Formats: sequence, C-alpha cells, structure tokens
Amino acid sequence: MAAPAWLGLLRAARSYHAPPPRRRPGGVYRPDPDDPLAPAWQLEPAYEAKLYGRHGSASGVDPARLWPSPEKLQELQAEEREWFPGLREMEAALDEKEQEEERQRVEREKLIAANMAKMPQMIEDWRREKAARKEKEREDKARRQRLLAEAQERFGHKVDHRSAKFQELVQEMEKKQRKELKLKKKQLKEEAKKKAAAAAADPEPVPVSAGAAEPA
Amino acid sequence: MAAASRGGGGGGPKALELLRALPRVSLVNLRPNPGAKKSEKRRGRGRHGGKKSGRGHKGQRQRGTRPRLGFEGGQTPFYLIIPKYGYNEGHSRRRQYHPLSLQKLQYLIDLGRVDPTQPIDLTQLTNARGVTIQPLKRDYGVQLVEEGADIFSAKVNIEVQMASELAIAAIEKNGGVITTGFYDPRSLEILCKPIPFFLRGQPIPKRMLPPEDLVRYYTDARNRGYLANPSNIPEARLELAKKYGYVLPDISKDELFRMLSTRKDPRQIFFGLAPGWVVNMSEKKILKPTDERLLRYYSS
Repeated sequence: MAAPAWLGLLRAARSYHAPPPRRRPGGVYRPDPDDPLAPAWQLEPAYEAKLYGRHGSASGVDPARLWPSPEKLQELQAEEREWFPGLREMEAALDEKEQEEERQRVEREKLIAANMAKMPQMIEDWRREKAARKEKEREDKARRQRLLAEAQERFGHKVDHRSAKFQELVQEMEKKQRKELKLKKKQLKEEAKKKAAAAAADPEPVPVSAGAAEPA
Repeated sequence: MAAASRGGGGGGPKALELLRALPRVSLVNLRPNPGAKKSEKRRGRGRHGGKKSGRGHKGQRQRGTRPRLGFEGGQTPFYLIIPKYGYNEGHSRRRQYHPLSLQKLQYLIDLGRVDPTQPIDLTQLTNARGVTIQPLKRDYGVQLVEEGADIFSAKVNIEVQMASELAIAAIEKNGGVITTGFYDPRSLEILCKPIPFFLRGQPIPKRMLPPEDLVRYYTDARNRGYLANPSNIPEARLELAKKYGYVLPDISKDELFRMLSTRKDPRQIFFGLAPGWVVNMSEKKILKPTDERLLRYYSS
C-alpha cells in the first residue's frame, strides 16, 4: 500500500501555499480618525493589527501595540483566574467527586447487605404470620359453622348469618359463655383462697405442697 | 494537452500552434452538455387549456392546499402521541469529532497530500483537504478510527483529538507516535486556518486546558493524552503491544527519531511557534514579546 522510499524522496508531499494577498493600488490605506464617515471598526486597535499583519512595517503601526496593554493584560489574567481553573485544581475537584461517589456507593451497598441479612428472618416471620392468619380464619369458619348448626337446631330451619335473629342468638350465647367463664374464675379464686387459708392453718404445709406437687 | 503528449517526437510545435489557435475555455463559451438540461413542462397551454391540467377534480388536491405532513385532521397526531425521551438531550451543545480513518490517512500519505516525514497535526490534515473542521459548528477536531488498521503501513508522528485503542496500536506497530490533544474552539480555528490568523496581526494565544470532563481522558497515558505523565507513556506503549501481540519497534534508534519525538507543549498551538509570538507573513518575520509580564502570562 505504501509507496517505496525512493518514490517518497522523489515526490515530496505537496506543500500548502497560501494565495498571495490582493494588491491594491495606492499603498497602505489608513483611515482618517477625524473623518466622521470613517467606519468605527477601522478606528480600533484590531484594525491596526490587521494592517500590520497585511503590510508589515510599511503600515506604520508600532509593533509593540500588537500585544495587550498592561491594563488589558491584567483583565485577561483576572478573567483566566476566574473562569479557567488550573489542571491540578480540576484534578482535585474530580478526585473529590469520585471519592464522594465511591462513598455513596459503598454506603448503599452496606445498606443493601444489612437489609439482605435481615431477609431470611423477615421471610420466616411472614410465613409464620401467614400460617397463624390461616389458622385463625379456619377456626372462625368452624365456629360460625357450629353456631349456624346450633341455630338451625334451635329454630328448626336454616338461618342466615346476617339476620337479626341469628345475631341475637349469638349475643345471647356469648353472654352465657362470659357468665360461665366468670363463674369458673370465681370458683377457681375461691378454691385458691380456701387452699391458702388451709395452708395458713396447717402447721406443716411443706409435705402437703410436696404431696400436691408429686402427682403433677 | 493530450494532443501534445501523444504527438511524441514530430508533432510538438504543430500541436502547440494548434493549441494557440483554438479558442480558450472560458465562461463565454461554456455551455451545458447536450441533454443535461430539460425544459420545464408547462401545463394547460395551447389546446390543452380550460381543463384540469392533470390535477384532478376540485378540492385540496387541485388547489394544493393540503394540510401539513403528519396532520391527522385534528386528531392528536402520531408524532405527538409518542412520548419524548432524553436520548438527544443537549445534542446542540455536544462536542463533535470528525472521524478520520486509518485508511483515509494512508490514502492521503500515498497520494503525497500529507508528508509523513513531518509531524502531522490538524494543520497538515486540513491543508491536505483530508478533513474539514468547523469550530463554530461545535467541531472539536478529529478522532482517529480503526477502519483500515490492517492495511495501515506508514510511520507517522500524528496528533489527533481522540483515538481508538486499535488505531493507537496500528500507528505504534508501524513505529509511529500518536498523541491526543485538546484544542479549545479559538485555538482550533487558529490551528485549522493559520494564514487568516497571521494576517490578523495578533499574537498567538495560549491553548486552553480541556474542560473538567475531559481531564481524565487527556491525563491518561493509555489514551496517549498530551497531559499524561511522559514517563508513563513507554509503559503504556509496551502494554498495548503485548495486548495486540506485536513487537514494538524501538523508535530511539530510528533515523527519524527527532521528528518522531517532537511533541507540542500543552499550551502550544503550532509546532515551533510559542504562544505570544506574532507571525508576519508579508515580511516573513516573527516578533517575540520582551515584556516580563507578557512573557509570564504566555508561559503560564
């Protein structure tokens, strides 16, 4: 693909030649600053520099004026300080940003790891809760069935569980149940009281309690 | 010309005479090729007048008042139903890098449009009309792409703005050197069109540093960045050679070593010209500042 070396020597690369500047008769044109018709852009230092670039020293422009004046230079420097941070500063800012990102990532990963560690326990809890809920539902269902069966027995026909009759029956039964429970509690309390009294009256409570404990 | 060359020994003066006698090709005797121009069809003229002129009967078709493209008669059109998504967010502000393939580079070198015995940068490439850079259209230079990596066989010292890994490997396999460098739009304009800039009579500015999001790219030796630590670059070259399995030529023993080891300063725009210098084309002179403050400003 490449040309041989001797060919390269013979046929040097075509070098670029800028077109020659256009020749204007009458020498260098300098705008007259006193002329009100002179365009404003021709009275600025950029135009002088342009004239120098075009004609060289024949333009009569002082080459020292091609560079910014001390005031302009200070402006330039202030601008650069304000808008163009140095390489080290930019690198430091980038480092900081990257560290911050890294920190956030690590934090997030830690949070995820901690939550994932809790996961098996949470799943286990959820399963247990679910089983308990199901069990309770089943019990409720069985109870309602029983009540309904009882109601049917009592009334001799099927009863809707929303009907007032059935609700009354349920309340009545619940009342009865509560009463029974109360009674039972009372009996238990009395028994306990009696026992305590007997124990207080008895001089040797230890063998009694031991004897009572043994069969259990 | 063809007649003159075919004339061989005898026909030289005669052909020259003929050429002199023939009219010159100029704007006055140029005309389009026969059949290249077709006269416009004029409808409804002569005996065809008073009819519909091929436009059918009445309505928007005949009167040319059809609704705009995509309009669905008042119903929310399809192009508005599809939600927008930010794939093209900020597309008008993104930096553009024209692709320059290794094939094209080889082509330019083979035709002698680019001189491989000199360091190649954007000035050489634009002067060879290899690429066209428009800094005002958010172009930031060229990226060297790997098309033609298998046929590339030139030894060059090239500076581009971005390069793919394989393109870097292809250049270095042939004993060349590649650098990636950033140019801010102003420096890029100057680099691509040096002569209009020199005619402006202004001092060459210093090249600005890359923006923050490009700092990592240009400080990385693997990208051959111009801000990378120069001592890391030989290591990166060796690593790449190992990765792609080629023997890295030793450029320090090369006859073109001086050319190959030429690098620009990060603040420098042109090879051989420092920031702050004024180049005068008409007198072929270079003016350098002497003021301390100016020197300090341009060297920082």
